[in-house]
Amino acid sequence: MSQRPRAYVTGIGVVCAGANNVAELRALLAAPKPTFGPSSVFPSKTASAQLPVAEVVGLDDTEPLPRTHRLALQAAREALAGAPPPDAIVLGTTTGGILATEAALQVGVTSPEAYRYHGLDTVARTLAETFDVRGPVITISTACSSAAVAFWVASALLRAGLARRVLAGGADSLCRLTFHGFRQLQLVAPSGTTPLDINRAGMTVGEGAGFLLLEKDPENSPVLAVLAGAGLSCDAFHATSPHPEGAGAVLAMQRALSDADVAPAAIDYINLHGTGTPDNDAAEARAVKQVFGDAVPTLSSTKGLTGHALAASGGIEAVVSVLALTDGLVPANTGLITVDPKLGLDPVSEPRHAEVRAVLSNSFGFGGNNACLVLQGSEHGGRERTQRPDPTIDHPATSVSPAPAALSPLRIAASACLSTRGGLDETWTALVAGEPVAGFVPDASFTKLVPPALLRRLKRLPRMTLALASQVYAASTIGAPPEFIAFGTAWGPLAETQDFLRKLFETDDKFSSPTDFVGSVHNAPAGQIALLLGARAPNLTCSSAERSFEHALLCASLGVAAGAKSALVVAAEAFEARLSPLFDSAVASGPLASDGGAAFLLLPDNHLPGPRIRWLGEFGRGENSVWALAKSPALAVALASCDAIALGLAGETSARQSSVVAELTALLAPHPVVVYRERLGHHASVSATAAALVAHGVVEGFLPLTAEPLPLPRKRVLMLQLGPQTTAFEVFA
Amino acid sequence: MTPTSDPLVSELARKLVETLGLDMTAESVDPAAPLIGAGLGIDSIDTLELVVMIERDYGVKIDNRAAGVEAFASLGALAAYIRQHRPA
Repeated sequence: MSQRPRAYVTGIGVVCAGANNVAELRALLAAPKPTFGPSSVFPSKTASAQLPVAEVVGLDDTEPLPRTHRLALQAAREALAGAPPPDAIVLGTTTGGILATEAALQVGVTSPEAYRYHGLDTVARTLAETFDVRGPVITISTACSSAAVAFWVASALLRAGLARRVLAGGADSLCRLTFHGFRQLQLVAPSGTTPLDINRAGMTVGEGAGFLLLEKDPENSPVLAVLAGAGLSCDAFHATSPHPEGAGAVLAMQRALSDADVAPAAIDYINLHGTGTPDNDAAEARAVKQVFGDAVPTLSSTKGLTGHALAASGGIEAVVSVLALTDGLVPANTGLITVDPKLGLDPVSEPRHAEVRAVLSNSFGFGGNNACLVLQGSEHGGRERTQRPDPTIDHPATSVSPAPAALSPLRIAASACLSTRGGLDETWTALVAGEPVAGFVPDASFTKLVPPALLRRLKRLPRMTLALASQVYAASTIGAPPEFIAFGTAWGPLAETQDFLRKLFETDDKFSSPTDFVGSVHNAPAGQIALLLGARAPNLTCSSAERSFEHALLCASLGVAAGAKSALVVAAEAFEARLSPLFDSAVASGPLASDGGAAFLLLPDNHLPGPRIRWLGEFGRGENSVWALAKSPALAVALASCDAIALGLAGETSARQSSVVAELTALLAPHPVVVYRERLGHHASVSATAAALVAHGVVEGFLPLTAEPLPLPRKRVLMLQLGPQTTAFEVFA
Repeated sequence: MTPTSDPLVSELARKLVETLGLDMTAESVDPAAPLIGAGLGIDSIDTLELVVMIERDYGVKIDNRAAGVEAFASLGALAAYIRQHRPA
């Protein structure tokens, strides 16, 4: 039995086609009934849009929020069931508010107000505000494995002691982008998915949300199950096609089993990814047989019942897995008539009852991003939540501040950035000469660094990302692919999204570009990094508004804490002329509008000379975050020993810059506060660019981000970002 | 290289280069050479991009593996496939 702290499941919540809560899902699994039909969520003039989908019926529509947000709220409410606020949220999503965005774009709405819920981060932030969450609020976007990857992150936060109770899961709504995207890839089954069947003809696009409340020390909460382990990998094979032998899937399953410290023989049931596409099911079958040999456990795909809810699927299937453990309910492979003999599997044909002690749940996504979970039955024998604390009784806030310096610093072996001036050297030189570097990155400064064979398929964001990644990889001389890859981007590949939707609208929803769809997922650039470097390591993408870089840094730090010997962190934004001004008011106009990003190759601290970077924490107290920050023990040491504070401004604080900076300067005196956007311009990942420059500055002994260069005698800078959530990390030498 | 006087083949060569952003001229595409998995570097997503273009511009659907193998054997084969399946 593993000695590691475990992640106990003390709450579950779900919504998917055919089930609006856990009780309905339990009934649906026990007695499957058809859930597929034409979509009522998005109108279409095209006959092909009548392909069946797996739609949620009866979703609460009283709140004026996009559908993904409402799905997430409904399932999260059930998972929390009146429990005290969790310390942190980790949510997987790919759609965010795109359904509302599509409708507004199609009729040409130009008011940014119509797009305020577009960003993926707004889903988790809605939950954070609703449930008063005061710690990290993290959004993961790795396509169809998003929720499963979110569970890995949640589990790592618990193990690192950065949180004691985490709400984790995923949510995605039906929308035109994903439906027509999969349709153009010829992956949608004409009459509903039949996973593992000899006549399987694709997936059925679904929607929903699934959450687990995970706790480290479930003092008073009944334990439903244990998230014993999670494993991540990347195929590094192709943008959409799985590796034919399932090599990445094998790695993720093996890593999950090893993380849970259980032998393959201990698994009683596998909930397959099982999308029903010919390639996925064939690759997954090979991978399962490779991991389990002649002793393949009982298994099924439940996507014949729920459809494929994309980023939510790993969350929904985690809830299915918990029900298998608590109820001894082995779900059927709904839709299956004749199993494909080439698969060599024997899926469950009818729901049945049996003792289930351990479940493996598989989730695989575009970009080759794989995530597998091992869930075990409760050792406490609790089958059902029997009692909850009365939510009307005022409860003291649970652990608000993470322990100080719980994560070790990482050594920056190499760094790179892209600004309107070019790379790091050009940017630094311009700043030293007193010239501002706000503006857009010239194509020539990154296109020349992308392998020519890849150029025709890749637009601005993946090109920048590959240029940044290949630069730091080459400079680091680590000689092997990085063992962890974390990418941050608030807005993702906007040119691909815009081009896909434009072509779709121009043809009345008939045609668009499969290449643009594949490129539009937020994790596509990180998948390209894996392909370029041949890296099968864990590979995740954080999309948390202006905190995307910070969260990529946090995840990489968690990866190193879990044993990775090297980590590549990249964060970037690519300006898109139509969408960027609608989505991000800070780049709508004016001299600060910019794009670009930065990359870091990070190693465990080995006490050699050179710059270091260390995640310190995240605080969500809205207006009071500055005060919370100043009083936080987590920051006391960093504050006492730094030369200066480099400040980023996000969200509403951006519009109140002068008062916020005055307040902070008074609070943190005598430390100078440097507002780096005044020199570097604004884009959502500019904190990464600032960090690359500060890492250079702590070595040089000065920082050229103010009118007079700021001396750094102590070689230490505290980097804060204020906004609805406030983040802190430090860079020192 | 096989020179062509077939206007549909020339048109398809132009659309192939444009649609996929290939770094070559339309004239340099060999009408008899295999389209997929050979020198052009065309993969499965590129193929689907061509499928969309062919349905949009010629009204011809290629929605199963066997049809794809026949249609994408070469540019000449694609022209023949379109002529055979084009709506009247």
